[in-house]
Amino acid sequence: MDALVDDFIQRRPQGLERVYSEWSVLFVSVARQVTGEASLAEDCVHDALLRVWRASNRFSGDRPLLRAYLAASVRNEALAAIRSDSRRGAREERAARLAPAPVEEAPVVDPVESERLRVALERLPGEQRQALVLAYYGNKTHVEVAERLNVPLGTIKSRIAMALRKVRAELADAEGQR
Amino acid sequence: MDHLGDEINPHADGAHLGDDAELYALGALDPVSARRVEQHIEGCPTCAARVNDALLTAAALAEALPAIAPSADLGRRLSRSAAIRRTTSTASRSAGRTSTRTSQRSASSTFTPWLTERVVRYAIAAALVLALLNAGWQSFRLHREIATEDVALSTLVHSHFNHVSMTPLLGGSPAAKILYARDGKWIYIIADRPGGTLRAFGYGAGAAIDLGTMSSDGKTATLMLRPRSRIHRIILERGDVAVAVATLAY
Repeated sequence: MDALVDDFIQRRPQGLERVYSEWSVLFVSVARQVTGEASLAEDCVHDALLRVWRASNRFSGDRPLLRAYLAASVRNEALAAIRSDSRRGAREERAARLAPAPVEEAPVVDPVESERLRVALERLPGEQRQALVLAYYGNKTHVEVAERLNVPLGTIKSRIAMALRKVRAELADAEGQR
Repeated sequence: MDHLGDEINPHADGAHLGDDAELYALGALDPVSARRVEQHIEGCPTCAARVNDALLTAAALAEALPAIAPSADLGRRLSRSAAIRRTTSTASRSAGRTSTRTSQRSASSTFTPWLTERVVRYAIAAALVLALLNAGWQSFRLHREIATEDVALSTLVHSHFNHVSMTPLLGGSPAAKILYARDGKWIYIIADRPGGTLRAFGYGAGAAIDLGTMSSDGKTATLMLRPRSRIHRIILERGDVAVAVATLAY
């Protein structure tokens, strides 16, 4: 097993330290995109990583999945924070200014992956891309996306899910061509 | 909420997740639906694999976000929280820093300040020994003079305690030393020119303990403790900033 993953799921302090050392920029970027506030974003990263690490023996997977799982946990922590916050509107405005960043305008978490992602998103049908972008980069639930676009819930769920599956396929193809 | 019915959550009746796998990975479900997904995938490897694929793709979406580095404080705060044996659940987000500090204070209750007259006498004597050492006295002369002055102190010098200089972490860190019993039963911290309120944190077998605030007269700060378990590393903080660290070797 990967030493980092093993250290983490065994709840060794060095496991948490290595995870933080390698992926903290990703986690903070994810949280900041949701909250729009540096302090709250870091609180979310802190709380999410600590919570997962303390229950980490429930995790089963490799290093990429651990990274993805932790990023999702941080994002959920941040989403929970803003969705229970009455000041959400102002936060969303700030967050919207942060995401997503065109490659040429600002440093991104991973420029190579970002370019592949940009291509994948451009290849999506407009309706699916719009739904996916609102859900992820707009930090909205599928209910909110449906309301925003005035489309039935079931349709929106299908569009979002299909969009994500297509992005996955596009990224896999790009990976295979490298 | 009306969207939580079985029509929207087909897995509620035992079927697979369907689109909820992707929505869950994106954080686009409400909390109740998300919880249902989590419960479902615990017993459904097929859907668990689908959720995992979706999580990996969702992480790919994050690669295009503006890269924001964490503050210097976050890593230190996380390490300290991870080391602390907390008796309460994770603190509320809005009081994150405060709650961490509160739990440390709770943990400190497992330590009993060592305040007996005899111990104070030993500590003062030990501090004197260090001062003498720093002044360049030869050890044989030190031992001889101490032996004539105070049998108890002589015992300390010869067999009962070690001492270590703390490593400064900042330019303005105080010069600090730690005396500690070789059996780990007591620890005495002394810092010259503390430059503010100093707080000590001890790290033992996987747990961090708030050892408390050092008493100070402005020129020298001291702290004496009797830990119930071995402390292997001590960090001094001034205003939540680590200023000195030392490792104790027993």
